Parts: sequence; structure tokens; C-alpha cells
Amino acid sequence: MQDNLNARDGGGDAGRERPRRASEQAQPLSDREVPLAGSPTSEMINSWLDGDTPEPVAVSAESARQVDLWRRIEEESQRRRHLVTPAHVKAQIMAALPADVPQMALPWWKKSMHVSPVVAIAAAAGLVALGAAIGNSVRIR
Amino acid sequence: MKTTVPTSPTDQLEVDQDIISRVLAGDRDAFSTLINRYSDPLYRHALGMTGSPDVAEDILQMSFIKAYQHLAEVRGRFDAWVFRIVANGCKDWLKNIRRTHLSYDEDDQPSGYSTPDEELDRTELRSDLDRALMTLAPSLREAFVMKHVEGRSYEEMADLLGTTVGALKMRVHRAREALQALLEEKYA
Repeated sequence: MQDNLNARDGGGDAGRERPRRASEQAQPLSDREVPLAGSPTSEMINSWLDGDTPEPVAVSAESARQVDLWRRIEEESQRRRHLVTPAHVKAQIMAALPADVPQMALPWWKKSMHVSPVVAIAAAAGLVALGAAIGNSVRIR
Repeated sequence: MKTTVPTSPTDQLEVDQDIISRVLAGDRDAFSTLINRYSDPLYRHALGMTGSPDVAEDILQMSFIKAYQHLAEVRGRFDAWVFRIVANGCKDWLKNIRRTHLSYDEDDQPSGYSTPDEELDRTELRSDLDRALMTLAPSLREAFVMKHVEGRSYEEMADLLGTTVGALKMRVHRAREALQALLEEKYA
């Protein structure tokens, strides 16, 4: 008997593709290891979009289409570059700020400590009791 | 980062530090100067990363409140510090929320010089570009948005993100390649 090495791929159903898991489908396109469909963005276009060279003169129909596509994307990007924060948002932020003045977060050893008289007396009594207990144990030895 | 008042980076740093000192001394209203100065590029970043005006507004608001609460901890440039708060807010949102819809339609303002056909075509590209952007990994989307939508230089991006120019160029190029693969069938 032969082991079925393709059990995960749907058993004996030759030619039937294993359905893709949801996690695989949701994976960002750019994270996939397979090559992207379509033609790669040429060095010429990257150089133009990076501002290193002027807009390229297309030498082929394909590169002309790519240049046109990126010109349109750049137009849309330019439009978005002029979007401003809606006025009401600034007012909302100011209204939502805490009333307290922001303070520097101090480490615990730098923070001032307030001790009430009752707590101070209790702590002193505790220390006296502890000292007496230690003294007794030393005397016994 | 673009500011409303053209000043050199050193002047800008000094002006910001002066404002921060005033806020820490109890002048709460002085904080509005920082909001007016830096909210627009931060809003565009949040909008580009999330694709939703409502979410971008929420992230901006939470980020400025956080900035206010921790204002005494600012060391160096306020704009770079608050940018990191917004960028982290966007990344946290992307980690936690699955997108249900995305559109810029809510604040689309038809331009006065285009024909209805041109406007329709442009609106279609907008939503297709948004959809394509949302398929990119967050690091690629961030690099593309900062370069193309915010119009930053690679050096500025490297400074804000704490990485190298080479790494950012690689991210932007990969983002372009992915976007082109998604859009060229329809538009090219």
C-alpha cells in the first residue's frame, strides 16, 4: 500500500485544487512569494516618480500605458496632498483635552510623599515592635 | 513637515519648545497652535493609512490628546514625536480592525473645470486606488502614502520612521509594483 502524500490536497481527486484558506486569501498581495501579475514597474518610471529624472518619453505602447497610469495616480495623489483637517476636528480635540495641566512623569523615588499622623504612629509602633522582636531573639541565643 | 509658517527647522524647534513651555505653565489654549500647525499632514497620513475619514479623525484626536498628556516628555522635534504617535495609532487600528468599506466619496468635492465624464472617471480611479492601497502590507502602504500623498522626501521619511533611505526606496518601489499590477489591467 502506498502512502497518500497529497492527502491535504484533496485525497484521490486528481486535478481538484485544494480550496484556499481564508488566511491565504486575506494575505496582502505584496507579502506573497509568487511574482505579481502584470508588468513590473520599470526603472525608468521609478526614477521619474522619485523625482530623479523628468517624465519619460515612452518608447513602446506598454511603457506609454504605464506612464499614463502613473500620471493619473500622481494627479490623484496631488489632490489628496491638499486635503485639510476638517475644522470641527480641531475644535473637538481642544474640547476633549484634559483639564489638568500635563505634568512630567516622575520616578517613584522623586515623588513627594504625604504621610498622615496616624500612619506615621502606626509605622513607628511597627518598627519598635520589630526591633524588640529582633532584640529578644538575639538575647535568647 | 510642511508648516503654516515658513521657518527654518531650528526656528521651528524653538517656536515649538516655546509653545510647549507655555502649555506646561498652564496656558492650555496654546496647544491649539500646535494642532493648527501639524494636524493637516497628520490627518492626510491617517486618512491614507486607514482609507476612512471618520477613523482618521478619531486617530488624530486620540493622538493629540495623548500628545497633550505626555507633553512634558517631548525631547527634540514635536512634529516627529507626534507623527510617531499617529503612525502607531494607524498601525494599531490596522492590526485590530478588518476593513468593511473605504472611500473618499464623503469629502469628494467636484472640481469646477472637469466634465461629468471626467469626474466619474476620476472618482472611479479614487476608489480603485483606495482598494488597491488597502491590499498592501502596512509598511508598504505607509511608505507609498508618505512619498506620494504626503510628498515627503526619502530623507525626511527615513528621519521620521527611523530607517534607511535604501529600505524606504525598496518599500515604495514594491508598493508601486503591486499597485500597478492591480490597476494596469483596467487603466493602462
